[in-house]
Amino acid sequence: MLDRKAELHNAYPGYDVLAKWRSPSWNEKTREVIAARLQVPDEPQFLTLDEFEVLTAIADRIVPQPASRSPVPVAGLLDQKLRAGVMDGYRVVGLPGDGEAWRRGLGALNAEARARHDCGFAAVADGDQDDLLRRCEAGELNAPEWAGMPSQIFFKHRLLRDVVLAYYSHPTAWSEVGWGGPASPRGYVRLDFNDRDPWEAAEAMPGREVEARRINRNVR
Amino acid sequence: MLSAMRSNQARKDKARGSFQALPVEAMRARPLRLSVPRSLSRSAQREAETVSAARRLNRAAGMLAASVLADSALEHYRGSFKNKAMFTPLVVAGLTLAMSLHGTADRRPVAHRARDASYLSAAVTGLIGTGFHIYNVTKKVGGLSWQNVFYGAPLGAPMAILLSGMLGFCSERVRANGRRRSRRIFKLPAAETVATVSALGLLGTSGEAGLLHFRGAFHNPFMAVPVTLPPIGAGLLAGAVLNGGRRMRGLARWWMRLLALMGFAGVGFHAYGVSRNMGGWRNWSQNILNGPPLPAPPSFAGLAMAGLAALELIREARDA
Amino acid sequence: MSDDPLHSPRAINGRAPDVFRPGRWVSMKQYAEHEAVDFVIVGTGAGGATLACKLAEYGFTVVALDAGPYFRPLEDFASDESEQTKLYWTDDRIVDGDNPLQLGSNNSGKAVGGSTVHFAMVSLRFRPEWFKARTKLGYGADWPIDWREMWAYYTEVEQALKVSGPVNYPWGPPRPRYPYRAHPLNAAARALARGCEALGIGWTETPLATLSAPRGLAHPCVYRGFCVTGCSTNAKQSALVTWIPRALSAGAEIRDLAMVGRIETDANGLAVGVHYNRQNQWRFQKARNVVVAGYAIETPRLLLNSATDKFPDGLANRSGLVGKNLMAQANQAVWGEMDEEVRSYKGPPSLAITEHWNYEDEGKDFFGGYAYMSQGPLPQLWANTQATAHGLWGTRLVEAMKRYNHVVGLKIVGEMLPQESNRVTLADEVDQYGLRIPRVTYSWCDNDKRLIDHSVAFMSRALGAIGAKDLWVQEDDTCHLNGTARMGDRPDNSVVNADCRSWDIPNLWICDGSVFPTVGGANPSLTIQAIACRTADRIRGLSRVGEIRLN
Repeated sequence: MLDRKAELHNAYPGYDVLAKWRSPSWNEKTREVIAARLQVPDEPQFLTLDEFEVLTAIADRIVPQPASRSPVPVAGLLDQKLRAGVMDGYRVVGLPGDGEAWRRGLGALNAEARARHDCGFAAVADGDQDDLLRRCEAGELNAPEWAGMPSQIFFKHRLLRDVVLAYYSHPTAWSEVGWGGPASPRGYVRLDFNDRDPWEAAEAMPGREVEARRINRNVR
Repeated sequence: MLSAMRSNQARKDKARGSFQALPVEAMRARPLRLSVPRSLSRSAQREAETVSAARRLNRAAGMLAASVLADSALEHYRGSFKNKAMFTPLVVAGLTLAMSLHGTADRRPVAHRARDASYLSAAVTGLIGTGFHIYNVTKKVGGLSWQNVFYGAPLGAPMAILLSGMLGFCSERVRANGRRRSRRIFKLPAAETVATVSALGLLGTSGEAGLLHFRGAFHNPFMAVPVTLPPIGAGLLAGAVLNGGRRMRGLARWWMRLLALMGFAGVGFHAYGVSRNMGGWRNWSQNILNGPPLPAPPSFAGLAMAGLAALELIREARDA
Repeated sequence: MSDDPLHSPRAINGRAPDVFRPGRWVSMKQYAEHEAVDFVIVGTGAGGATLACKLAEYGFTVVALDAGPYFRPLEDFASDESEQTKLYWTDDRIVDGDNPLQLGSNNSGKAVGGSTVHFAMVSLRFRPEWFKARTKLGYGADWPIDWREMWAYYTEVEQALKVSGPVNYPWGPPRPRYPYRAHPLNAAARALARGCEALGIGWTETPLATLSAPRGLAHPCVYRGFCVTGCSTNAKQSALVTWIPRALSAGAEIRDLAMVGRIETDANGLAVGVHYNRQNQWRFQKARNVVVAGYAIETPRLLLNSATDKFPDGLANRSGLVGKNLMAQANQAVWGEMDEEVRSYKGPPSLAITEHWNYEDEGKDFFGGYAYMSQGPLPQLWANTQATAHGLWGTRLVEAMKRYNHVVGLKIVGEMLPQESNRVTLADEVDQYGLRIPRVTYSWCDNDKRLIDHSVAFMSRALGAIGAKDLWVQEDDTCHLNGTARMGDRPDNSVVNADCRSWDIPNLWICDGSVFPTVGGANPSLTIQAIACRTADRIRGLSRVGEIRLN
């Protein structure tokens, strides 16, 4: 139900930041980086299959995606980041390194789901998954599988942060929020309120979705 | 001793005078001899001179209009034509350009009603546009501040179409003088009036260039050129009006040619400026708008052409 | 790829990358490791690069080491937040205390040029009274430097960076005109201005070290908005494109991917050089003087990691103050939504500023001051803020993100007071080089909290006054790191003297934000560079009268 609502509201119909791929807004380095990101498969290389399944289910709750378009492989992107060992630059006391924190956290969430619902996290109903995540956020989960890692710290500093950063690293998400996307060498000219360069997304004002879609199709 | 020198000088003058007189006489005499009596031929010649002075002014007005047309098209495209009135200078400058071409081709010694109307509307557009631009700047947060004067609607820009209209209108008035001995614009002497308009235009345009080049922190030493040469040119025009000596006029004439050259060279400098921005010409869709404005410098050429026309009028008025 | 700046050093074989031309090189002088250079400098950020340049120009032999890669921005920087995390210092660090700091992205850089490669370019002078905060304002500590002397060095740095600023600056004593004009304001900046005018306080265009007109081979800003993830046009006047090229042409050597692990001291208690790791090899560079410029965490870490029998508590630490008095700056924000489209992703993020509460002391129930600036977060940063600071996830997050283009925000850079309990120590864990990692402990004091409360209340009024809706406060954020090796006028109350010279080891210098006794409510980069320029002048002066060992 909630997901359907997300699907209904398309703020920037017809806008695809990738349409600017060959435009002066994208330089060679950016194309190289984004091309690699678009190739990231939705399968685990760092995590186990079981862990990956839980992660996929979590990502669906944190950043729900409309069914009408090809999904952003949030779990795959995150798995790749863990494999590459890219860290944030700080670690709150009580939180192990990124890979270890995720392994432990996913295992613990799965264990919490089994304890409450008799099945793994991924098989739990959406509403119950949300409930588990809220308890995690509030620091109310303390199954032995957490092994001393406070669930609220894991939630805020690892789970939420990493999932959100993974989703919004993808061009599909950029198009969804109407961001201009990569911008070099070409930046922007019109900077004031309600100013839009021809290479920026047009927002669908109520009743003017068709116009926005027409403009967005021509964004280059 | 003294008297000897004087008489010597007088001899030299005489010799030079007669030497110089010959070819000039020959050039003037030949066409006149073909047709009419001497008195009539003088006035016919005057009429021909009047028309060609007017056509020079048409040409200057047209050059300014062309600059305005391109500049306002670019700048108002940058402003996304948010207000429909932003199309006005395009239409008016386009019309003024067309009328100026028409005037340049027209050899008749009478003012043209359509041209007059067009030039007047250009002048009015310039005044109204200035009002619009002042409103645009003052309504922005910060009001009349450096920020808004630098980046808001340029206050001086609509003056260019006003100048174009004024020069064109002067052109029609000059043309209407026909064979009259002393050419007038309404009750004002034509030569001095056109010279004054040109000089003030040069000063104003130079001021605008100064403002925008200050915005660019005069990062390139050549950016000082359009803020130094035109005021000198304006001064020389004033000098030509006030003293009217032949040497002063000659210098002013050369200076106007220099300014015209500067106007066209400015396009080249600005094109280089565009190429210096990130992405150069490949990033034209941004850099044409964010870089130095390509169509702006030729307005100096337009004003210099008006200055040349004024100097010619002065020569004819005083050497006749 | 053989030319991968993250994995193989570029500044070798007598050449260094030409930052202005893709694929090109400039020649670089090199020094033998076994022959002592006049100065070896650890770190090439705002402090180290500036000092390296000035000392080389004064004729000293200089080798500057940086743990990070040597980028050519034009070809190495993508328009992408994730990719550009390569500019941040993301090595392992532990944070604790009541208000653990977030490190990495907005306060720690790992590249030649240091965090100036991804700083927000805000180039502010300190309020003169801050240099005598204890005497004149009743808090913190006095600096051993007079503000008038700093005023001249500020001018030198502003010229060196061609800072773009307003024609007239509304606060403080007169300063010379900024070399370049201010940038055009984006909508986010105009929102700040409207709010200030509604509440009757001053505002101005932020002085920014990014070009508003061409300079040499550097392009002017194209308003792409990726400033804090690395400028790919060279408009940003980072140390990488300003001081470093000057340093190279004056004969300094830069070594990239060179992580210094220990400063070596001899039996006389003098520094003799540094051990550094490059290409998985520990090496040693001999030097007559060692300058530490690693910023407020790596500087104390290196000093502490260099402990010997003679200096059991770490180098330059007889006062016991190394690592103490760490000062972050408060970075709270108020966010809201406008009916109008703002699209704050365009242009430098902080084009407008008010320093009103830095210069106005009436009506404050706290010591210190703050500036606040307009904001322009890119989507990843904004989504992370909405999630971790606003607590949104699920459909609420995704829907809120679709209002991205209407978001407007004001964010402070606020003064936090020095406290000895806020400090950098060594954890037992080690990093990839085998060096003990830093533990950073941070808790706000009551004064910090009162300043924050004042600022968010004021900014909420400012946003409310311009019709922004759904306001919320981002409570937990900090930026910039200073302190941990403060300067002072006595060996017992400071680590270095006004010349950034260690009281304990006369040929050991510290030249970065660590030496700040107080931080003020202004971004520190301009002050760090000004102090580096002053230090260079002092070193030259001292060497002329034989007070520095140079043989």
